[in-house]
Amino acid sequence: MQGIYIKSPILKILIGILATLITIGAILLVAFTEEIRMEEQAASWEGRSIENGAALYATACASCHGVDGKGASGPALNSYYFFTDTGRIQDVEFPGSLRQYVKLTIAAGRPSKQQSQWPVRMPTWGADYGGPYRDDQIEEIVDYVMNWRESALAQTPYEDPWRCFEDVPTPCDEQGFVGLLKRVGLTPEEYLAGLPAEAQPTPPPARPAELLFTEMGCNGCHALTKANAAGAVGPDLDPLPQVAGERIPGMSPEEYVYESIVNPDAYIVEGFPPGVMPTNYAQRMSEEEIRSLVDWLLQP
Amino acid sequence: MSVQQQMREKGPLGMLVALAEDVFTRVTAGIPPGEFRRMLRGEPPGRPNPRLKPHSETFLLHIRPTYYHESVTRWTHTFRLGMLSTYLFFLELITGILLMIWYAPTPERAYQDMIRLLSNVPFGQFLRDLHRLGAEAMVAIVTAHMVRTYLTGSYKPPRQFTWFTGVILLVVTLFLSFSGYLLPWDQLAFWAVTIGTSMAEAVPPQIVGETVNLLARGAPDIGANGLLRFYLLHVLFLPALLILFFFVHYYKVVHFGISLPASEEEVGEDTANRVPADRRVYFLPDVATDELSFLTGFTALLIVVTVFFFQAPLENIANPQQTPLHTVAPWYFYWLQGLLKIADKTIAGVILPGILLVLLAAIPYLDFNPSRRGRDRRVAIVSGIVAGTMMIILSYMGTPQYAVQAAPPVEIVQELMPEEGMGPAREIGYDNLPLGVWRTDEEVEYPNEEFAKLMEEFKAATRKWQEKDPDFNAAVGQLTISQDQPRLKRLDWYITWFDAQGAPGEFSRSFWLHQDSIYWEQYGLKHRFLEYIREFFMSRQEQ
Ligand code: HEC
Ligand code: HEC
Ligand code: HEM
Repeated sequence: MQGIYIKSPILKILIGILATLITIGAILLVAFTEEIRMEEQAASWEGRSIENGAALYATACASCHGVDGKGASGPALNSYYFFTDTGRIQDVEFPGSLRQYVKLTIAAGRPSKQQSQWPVRMPTWGADYGGPYRDDQIEEIVDYVMNWRESALAQTPYEDPWRCFEDVPTPCDEQGFVGLLKRVGLTPEEYLAGLPAEAQPTPPPARPAELLFTEMGCNGCHALTKANAAGAVGPDLDPLPQVAGERIPGMSPEEYVYESIVNPDAYIVEGFPPGVMPTNYAQRMSEEEIRSLVDWLLQP
Repeated sequence: MSVQQQMREKGPLGMLVALAEDVFTRVTAGIPPGEFRRMLRGEPPGRPNPRLKPHSETFLLHIRPTYYHESVTRWTHTFRLGMLSTYLFFLELITGILLMIWYAPTPERAYQDMIRLLSNVPFGQFLRDLHRLGAEAMVAIVTAHMVRTYLTGSYKPPRQFTWFTGVILLVVTLFLSFSGYLLPWDQLAFWAVTIGTSMAEAVPPQIVGETVNLLARGAPDIGANGLLRFYLLHVLFLPALLILFFFVHYYKVVHFGISLPASEEEVGEDTANRVPADRRVYFLPDVATDELSFLTGFTALLIVVTVFFFQAPLENIANPQQTPLHTVAPWYFYWLQGLLKIADKTIAGVILPGILLVLLAAIPYLDFNPSRRGRDRRVAIVSGIVAGTMMIILSYMGTPQYAVQAAPPVEIVQELMPEEGMGPAREIGYDNLPLGVWRTDEEVEYPNEEFAKLMEEFKAATRKWQEKDPDFNAAVGQLTISQDQPRLKRLDWYITWFDAQGAPGEFSRSFWLHQDSIYWEQYGLKHRFLEYIREFFMSRQEQ
């Protein structure tokens, strides 16, 4: 057996030169794409953090602040008033940024605030203050909450779900955005009319009914087989097509269900407490969407 | 001779030439330019051989033999595996020291530092990938080197101790690789090392096991102390140990000479150091050019693989509260993981590997057969092959495919959108995931081909598990995709089924996907090259 042995020194040197050229070529390729790669990575890690924050928000916060952040038993976060510089952050006279305010609130909670206008307290979440989450998890939740900025700032005065705190140094006298306008002496109509044509709010495309049922959090409170929902806070909606016409004499099933969604407290189903079902659905869905939801609920 | 005298004899030009020659000879540690030219032309050295001088003049060359036996310089004799192991170690040393610049070994910072390295340091990802690839290649190549010396019987007298130090080097290499595993402080790292160190806990008697575990982890569980200890092991203690044993190992290799092919000497003889003058291949220049060209070639291969094909994984940050669905050891410990499935922790995790290691180290002292020829070593070679096959089978049993399976719906979702890493759902990307409710029991027009393929996989997985598990029947999967926030979609996986008794079951799991997210399998030029090139030219155009 002779075995492999390259004897020619010229060949060896050529191999060496070729390999060096390949190495340099590959490294140059990396060098040219590095700037773009780093930008992409930076954006990716922010996205990844938001993804993880979303999962934590869904388990820890959605029950009080709403799946869409528009408030339930706790205040709205996905709100124009909350995100705008002249809104919440100015009214509470917080010296830092909104991001810091959010992080501080989440990490420390508001443990001493009982008996405020909110039926619940904001719990403490940061491990440094006795809560369950590590600092990196708190950061992820903050990233997620702050990611509402774009959609919150796109809200019109009518859409802002903010409800004012009753115990702040400068209480806002009206619901969020509307209150802000009032301070500068504008009505929402005047404000909207003053916007240039391209900034006029366009209605977003209507969402399908089955999606609304989860997106609006109905599934958290109601049971409904076709939506795989098993909530038990409110009445079971499976028998709705049968019972809707009999709830209020003289009211058609469509009218009744519509009323139950936009103004839940107008009629309280026996055995259930009033004031539990959120009252702001008329602001959070378009007319068309509510109609399609009603039709969908009434289909057996 | 004084300068003036020289000046007079040679003239100013002649003196400059003499000076240049002198400098050249100093730089090459004793080879004058004329001799260097003769080397390049491939002419034989004069007598006495002036090319030996650098070996006595320089530190690095004094370690190397001045000549080799021609038969051992063939690539197919050693495959240069020992040299490659050495090279990889120094490559790891250099890339590792560079990586240390951006890394602090604390649980608060380690993972963030990894992210910063990837997104803020030019060549950061390249360095990390190269270091990781080098580490895995080193394990593979050191093992291959051991197999080669086993097959050529090179551990036989007088090289028993060379083999013994080699086994120590193998163990140190494995520990080096494994201790580096923890440093990124991600889920992959944390749980692999938690399982690894828990094996130390199984060392009998209990008090010893607990102490070893406590020493390794610095606390009952891995945390700040454990990370610091692994870091120190990885960057200081183990490399120092490896350098020390490398020099012991290599001293022995040079001392005895590389063993000749068995067919070239009598059984029981060792003539490696008695090289007839006509079979000598001198280190300078022949072996040196050979090694240099081989190493540049290997470097090119390594770099090309790093740039185009290899991505070091980085999962989510370590979370002691959340055990991942399938924890996996690094591939070179799959065999151990396989073994752990058969027997309990003390036997499979400590006693058996311990016995194996002692046996491995003792091979040269147990094998009394004086012959290194394959024909005479049937038992040794067959048992080597059997041992290797066993390792492969055990490794297969230790792979994630053979892992203990969770409940079918959990596995289905894990298959399509795993807890860690990419999976098909993330692979098709944010833009290809259409909003709406999609069910496996419906045949509809899907908005795009990629998504149609994903739903096909969803249906296939549901079918597969129904065939596999009698408690999983009439299963229906549903995927709800909604817009959770600007540029953030929510994916709700929901599966219903009936068990063998007809009782219904349901399972749901939600994940989010951001438009900008890329998962580690998607890093690297392999996936993003065209995209980068396009963006690069677009940014040029704008300027
Ligand atoms: C038990 C219900 C509840 C849960 C769960 C909850 N919160 Fe709150 N949160 C509240 C209440 C109530 C307030 C108002 C506290 C007050 O009166 O000052 C609040 C206030 C806040 C505020 C400050 C709003 C402002 O304008 O001052 C932020 C930000 C916030 N929560 C974020 C979160 C996040 C993020 C989570 C999940 C980790 C979460 N909350 C979980 C009830 C809750
Ligand atoms: C926070 C829990 C909660 C959420 C969220 C909620 N509901 Fe309700 N809902 C209730 C409760 C409690 C009642 C019974 C009291 C009442 O009639 O107001 C009710 C009553 C109803 C009724 C009348 C049922 C009947 O049998 O007469 C309808 C219809 C209804 N909800 C639809 C919806 C829809 C549609 C949504 C989502 C857009 C929704 N609900 C979200 C709690 C909730
Ligand atoms: C970091 C790990 C190691 C390094 C850097 C290393 C390095 C080397 C080098 C440079 C040689 C010269 C010959 C050749 O290239 O094959 C060699 C020879 C040898 N090595 Fe290793 N080695 C390592 C691990 C091992 C292991 C794990 C074993 C076996 C258990 C081993 C056993 C031997 C033996 C027996 C020889 C002599 C071969 C002969 O004379 O033919 N080495 N080693």
